Amino acid sequence: MEEKEKTAEKTEVIDNELPLDKTVRLMSPTRMVVRRFFRSRLSIVGLIMVVGLFIFSFLGPVFYTEWGEIELDESGKTEYSVSQATYTVNGKEYTLRQTTEKSLKDNFLDAPSAEHILGTDNEGYDIFVRLMYGGRISLIVSFIAVFLITAIGVVMGGIAGFFGGVIDNIIMRVCDVLICLPGVPILLIISTILDASEIDAKYRIYLLMIYLTFISWPGTARLVRGQILSLREQEYMVAAEAMGYSVPRKIFKHLVPNVMPQLIVQMSLSLGSMILYEATLSYLNLGVKAPYAAWGTMINIISTNQDILQNHLNVWVPAGVCIVIAVLGFNFIGDGLRDALDPKARR
Amino acid sequence: MLKYILKRLVMSVFILLGVSMIIYFLIRLMPVDFIQDKINAINQGGATVSEETVNAMYEMYGLGDNSFIGILKGYFSWLGALARFDLGTSFVYGIPVADVIFEHMGISFAIALIATIFEFLIAIPLGITAATHQYSFRDYLVTVLVMIGISLPSFFFGQMLKDVLALKLGWFPASGLVNAVESNTGIALLIDYAKHCFIPILTIVILSIGARMRMTRTNMLEVMNSDYIRTARAKGLKESVVINKHAFRNTLIPMVTSLAGLLPSLFSGAIITEQVFDLPGIGNIALDAMNRGDIPFIMGYNMFLALLSVIGVLLADLMYGLVDPRVKLE
Repeated sequence: MEEKEKTAEKTEVIDNELPLDKTVRLMSPTRMVVRRFFRSRLSIVGLIMVVGLFIFSFLGPVFYTEWGEIELDESGKTEYSVSQATYTVNGKEYTLRQTTEKSLKDNFLDAPSAEHILGTDNEGYDIFVRLMYGGRISLIVSFIAVFLITAIGVVMGGIAGFFGGVIDNIIMRVCDVLICLPGVPILLIISTILDASEIDAKYRIYLLMIYLTFISWPGTARLVRGQILSLREQEYMVAAEAMGYSVPRKIFKHLVPNVMPQLIVQMSLSLGSMILYEATLSYLNLGVKAPYAAWGTMINIISTNQDILQNHLNVWVPAGVCIVIAVLGFNFIGDGLRDALDPKARR
Repeated sequence: MLKYILKRLVMSVFILLGVSMIIYFLIRLMPVDFIQDKINAINQGGATVSEETVNAMYEMYGLGDNSFIGILKGYFSWLGALARFDLGTSFVYGIPVADVIFEHMGISFAIALIATIFEFLIAIPLGITAATHQYSFRDYLVTVLVMIGISLPSFFFGQMLKDVLALKLGWFPASGLVNAVESNTGIALLIDYAKHCFIPILTIVILSIGARMRMTRTNMLEVMNSDYIRTARAKGLKESVVINKHAFRNTLIPMVTSLAGLLPSLFSGAIITEQVFDLPGIGNIALDAMNRGDIPFIMGYNMFLALLSVIGVLLADLMYGLVDPRVKLE
């Protein structure tokens, strides 16, 4: 009832020339959230960024088929190197300049051109195409990780919050231990273990993300538990009790949906941080390994090659820009959702 | 209160035991073998190492048995040594692990401390203006800028700053901590340190301002809506007094609490930033140790981090009760 009145108030302001009874309209809470979300410019920008990246990475390779992810440009390249030496003969100075011409098989470090939109990297792969494939990996991996984190967190937090007592105590102590594990150092250790186990380069990043899931679910579990502890005391839970509903039904049908708003916000924000994690791992050469592409892997080269860092910006800057766009997009969406879902925020 | 603290401390010990067990088993599963590397080095020098010596070396380093029971034994001997405040001796450096940690912690701590101070000095005023001008152009501008800061990967932004400020413009040295050519002392050495640390600190500050600024903004907005702010305005106080004296003071509560949470990051070293700028901080040393299989050091370093985060959480809870009289700890 209250919801209805508020809607009425709002629509009245928007078109005040109409009589009140014609403007009163029932709006579901979901619609109100959607409307509020799209009212914020930043969330629209975030949505465009993320959707754009999705189209770029998933549909891009379908339409732009000039080069493949691991297809070398073998058109060849001629490299000139100039060496210079000065000799002094009979008091006279001579300068000997020698130019060596070397024909190489792969067309590496090519400048941006019509053939290679962003040029080629130090191996001779097309950078523009690798950006697309790198995006696929980053986005897929982050989505898998975030969904797993949320699923485990909801189940564990739900159980802990609903039952309380010993079960709650055990789950929360496990959370305490997992939260205290140092993140990056342990990822490094696990990565070296994976190196030895000779797992296909394509799949190791998934295993690392599963580990990330394993240490990240306590955050979600704590959030869900805290919410459920307070929701448990509400009248509608007493009603559910009186109706004789089963425990799973009470938890997953009546409690969890009320935690959804906070969960959705946290999911979109942690998508951003997962992309950063994946990129950092790949940058340290622990995640996706060559010849496969990931945004972090494409930046990795500059940690050893000063020449590329300084003179071939087209090799590493685009990948970094893609990471920033992805993370920023998810952060904007998360922020927009937080404002839209907050019942106290009235704008 | 005392009972609460004691209870938390006992719990912390159990948490650390759990953490240490997980880390120890993971480290022992690492394929990097320090002894094998050492023997290879000796073999390359022309000498040969007999089978017995190799086995004796594995025994000496406590790595003889790699079965589950063997690792368990190794864990308990590590734990026993820890009970005597002995973290073991680093394989690579040959000195006690604690010494290695303290030796390299200083530089990491200095960088983190300076970065944190600047972070607070810049982020808090930004957060206040954003909150007092909510939904204005200024609010959007500040929010978007700090959001970009949060979204930058540290390795990418660090390398970018290094490329522009150090390599292209040549204003600052690109890596390391001291100028190897000049041998400076006294104030000149200090200036040299400052020059080398400028870009790393700038990187950390820009990346971390966002979280702090947004936290200030949220708290400030919450406080600005409370009744006592309306009262202060109704009394006819100047807006600057209302904001700085009445509103800002109350946003300090969560700020102080988060200060305790900062403790781990002050000492733990920034692995990525230190790697990018090749600084001899604790994070970079740990990265190196992991590649070389220095088990006692990796173990000591990770436990050091875990201990810091346990203390950080405990302090944060205690501080919360201390600054906000409405909070009761039980």
